Amino acid sequence: MRCARPFAPLALLTLQDCAGVQSAFDPSGAEAERINVLSWLLILSSVAVLVAVCLITAGALFGSERWRARISGERLVIGGGLVLPILVLSILLSYGFYLMGPGSPAGRADGRLRVEVVGERWWWRVTYVDESGRRVESANEIRLPVGRPVGVELTSADVIHSFWVPRLAGKLDMIPGRTNSLTLQATKAGISRGQCAEYCGGAHAFMSFYVIAMPEDQFAAWLEQEAGDAQIPTGADETAGQTLFLSSGCIACHSVRGTEARGTIGPDLTHVGSRHSLAAATLENDVSAFARWIRDGEHVKPENLMPPYDIFTEAELAQLSSYLDQLR
Amino acid sequence: MKKLHWTTVAAVLGMGAAGLVLAGTIFVSSGIYNVAASSGHFRITTWLLAMVRERSIDMRSFPIEVPPIDDDGMIRLGAAHYEGGCVPCHGRPGEEMNPIVSGMLPPPPNLTEVGKRRPPEEIFWIVMHGLKYTGMPAWPNTGRDDEVWAVTAFLATLPGAVSGYPDFAGLARGGGDKHEGLANGRTFTRCGRCHESEGTGTNGNRIPRLAGLPEAYLLRSLREYAERTRASGAMEPVADLLDDGRMRELAAYYSALRPVAPKTTVAPDPERLRRGEAIAIRGIPRHGVPACLTCHSGRQSSYFPTLAGQHAAYIAEQLRLWQRGGRVGTAYGRIMAVVAGALSAEQIEDVAAYLASLPPGAAPPEPMAEVSR
Repeated sequence: MRCARPFAPLALLTLQDCAGVQSAFDPSGAEAERINVLSWLLILSSVAVLVAVCLITAGALFGSERWRARISGERLVIGGGLVLPILVLSILLSYGFYLMGPGSPAGRADGRLRVEVVGERWWWRVTYVDESGRRVESANEIRLPVGRPVGVELTSADVIHSFWVPRLAGKLDMIPGRTNSLTLQATKAGISRGQCAEYCGGAHAFMSFYVIAMPEDQFAAWLEQEAGDAQIPTGADETAGQTLFLSSGCIACHSVRGTEARGTIGPDLTHVGSRHSLAAATLENDVSAFARWIRDGEHVKPENLMPPYDIFTEAELAQLSSYLDQLR
Repeated sequence: MKKLHWTTVAAVLGMGAAGLVLAGTIFVSSGIYNVAASSGHFRITTWLLAMVRERSIDMRSFPIEVPPIDDDGMIRLGAAHYEGGCVPCHGRPGEEMNPIVSGMLPPPPNLTEVGKRRPPEEIFWIVMHGLKYTGMPAWPNTGRDDEVWAVTAFLATLPGAVSGYPDFAGLARGGGDKHEGLANGRTFTRCGRCHESEGTGTNGNRIPRLAGLPEAYLLRSLREYAERTRASGAMEPVADLLDDGRMRELAAYYSALRPVAPKTTVAPDPERLRRGEAIAIRGIPRHGVPACLTCHSGRQSSYFPTLAGQHAAYIAEQLRLWQRGGRVGTAYGRIMAVVAGALSAEQIEDVAAYLASLPPGAAPPEPMAEVSR
């Protein structure tokens, strides 16, 4: 025990990352739970094998004559060197196939809701398609109803990205010109974080998003709200901010439904104020973050493709930010 | 012969060197050398300076590739700048040299025959970089190859263009305009030599049409030239001569000026116009190119220029300038740099032709972003 003590902090260090919004060891989705079970099974099996090998080695080095004779016997070589690995690996493989493979108990998406996610440099275009075929565009955040398996269709608009929400499911590449399908089934309400898991250029490390799982009734209400047009600003600052937004070129790239902003190059901003984060989970979502992003986005997220917009006065920037913030 | 000991040799050499340093110090600090331009050089000094200069020009201009410079608009832009920037020393082509500048050492050469004397790459290199020990200045900024090529285009046509010079340089243009004297009548600030006046268009298609542009945009541009954040060897010296009141007057004047319908030259290819229209109205979302008219139709911020009826050659040259990184000195320019960088050479020509084909002053069609990809 004494010799183990120096290693205790190290062990803690590795374990403290095992909880949290982006941890595969803290699953909140059906597929991630299966992956978690399989991971632990593999880890424990490997540990068992390692301990056995250590014991046998110790026996060979320090054991009595009788032990050494047993270890050098042909029975152990055949039993432990051939039969055991074949047996253990076959069982693990079969169980892995059972859990993860095509015939697995994975939830089939019920087709009532589909989410299309397009990887862009360096953000996520998210479109919800409901039973009636209605398309609701959003960005950089995915909301899911708890318990319902939802089909997610992944593709890319430019380079190869990879979609990974460790708490919900395994990762799947997003390939230009091809659609990959994934089923996400959140098992409990809460927030998980996803990350692009394939290097895709400059701002790759800042290409993240949040997945928010919410109870079925809340989700339905949220989707209705998300499908609606942007609310009309009421305050003086917000109204002035809207005028700036519509006249300063923002609408060339961004959409705000219900206004003449119909750009498709950048993220849809219709309800941007209601999202959990800004700039693909790079910034908190508040008024000052909007201002910082608009003027100084290249420092927040180097190489991002939005042109630096340093043309506003402090007052104008505050108006524009409060307009965007109230788009909830 | 008696063999010299090395210490003797060293002592003699050391004394010689000390003597030279002493003599040099006396020569430099006494003022004995005559720096008067009137005193001239020894013939060998003149020969040596000329030799070094010519060899340097020859070698440095060797890698320069000459673009097409046989263009009326370029010649006019070059000649118009020559009138303001070069005439004070080099005189107008075909005219006698100014006796004052003839007293310089070396005297500025008469450029009437320069097109025969030097190939275009040498002219370009000299105009761009200037010449040490002669008084020839470098171009005010290094990013504007296009402007230097325009001056080169004009000089390369000499002496053939001597008779056309008053026309090319716009000497007779805009004479009757009451705003001609706005900026104190200096050659540089006679805006009408290059830009429009009541009833006349611009001096060629490389000079932007200003009539009817938003006042705030025009004022912003003049201030940017004066602050040297927007690079232009042609406009920086002009804006430098204007105070804020004059800038405001000029911006108001040009904004209120009625645009003249452009001279119809060769009708552009309808296919090109169709492609240009698609870019201007819908953009190229796949490549991150927004629709031009979401900012430049006149319905948006008055700090953005309207582009309907602007010269195609001017629009295309500015877009290429953005691509080369020559217009990133201002916050507005940095926004546009991202857009211009996403266009191909062919798309630049298409969209410039389309924007030029729109009637000036009229609001162009409403931009329509693509509903979905």
